[in-house]
Amino acid sequence: MSDRVQRLVQLQDLELMIDELQDPDHKRKEEALGFSVENFAQLEKARERLLKQIPKQDLRSYRRIRRRHVRAVVPVHNGICLGCFQTLPTRIQRGSSASGPLPACENCGRILYWF
Amino acid sequence: MTAEQFLSYFGPQRFIKELRARSKDGVLSELTRVLANDGDIRDPSLLLEMIRRRESLGSTGLGNGVAVPHGRSTAATRTKVVFACSKRGIEFDAPDGAPCRIFFLIVAPYEDHRHEYLPLLGKIVETVSEESSRQKLLGVETFEEFAEAMREAFRE
Ligand SMILES: [Zn+2]
Repeated sequence: MSDRVQRLVQLQDLELMIDELQDPDHKRKEEALGFSVENFAQLEKARERLLKQIPKQDLRSYRRIRRRHVRAVVPVHNGICLGCFQTLPTRIQRGSSASGPLPACENCGRILYWF
Repeated sequence: MTAEQFLSYFGPQRFIKELRARSKDGVLSELTRVLANDGDIRDPSLLLEMIRRRESLGSTGLGNGVAVPHGRSTAATRTKVVFACSKRGIEFDAPDGAPCRIFFLIVAPYEDHRHEYLPLLGKIVETVSEESSRQKLLGVETFEEFAEAMREAFRE
């Protein structure tokens, strides 16, 4: 997997964690089970640090897709895009180069993440 | 959720009778490594990072010697649980200050169409809320014994 996609996965996991744990309903449920959910400032700081490591054009693609879908980056499992559940054409390139376009699903446009 | 559905998240490859780790971060690494070795996980380092971040929001130590680190990750394709024991106990910043001896690591993907993550988390917390269940879990030697102890806890 390319570092570029890996960074976007890190960002996405972090942003989705922030979204989920800041959702009052989810937070309440976790707290009811006995878990503490605080110190959000730490996650925001980690997010700021990560943003600095991501190329601008990758961030733009990520943001554009995130406006339409909850997840901009999705895993590929058995040749299927786990965003739209369509089979990917076999010619599609695994991973990505240091520059150039990120690997994306032709059907839904999400960025693809392989093992 | 039936007892068998509940047990389907566990597996013999994700059963650690005695943890080697002696520190909180060591436990998180060991649990994550076992989960990643079992397949369905893309990148253990991403997973560990996510688990550490969740932990930074507040310890997932619940008290009574139980900790349940958990989170969702793009690196996961299926919801899975690792069960582990540490008879000597590990300092885990639990609210009661007691070292933790029983650990469950739960990792779920974001594409959780069956909405299984929170109910599973709740069920695990419920099964270890009884002192008798915790004692049984601490005494199990094999995955089969663990599964039987969980079935019993589930029935109670
Ligand atoms: Zn797709």
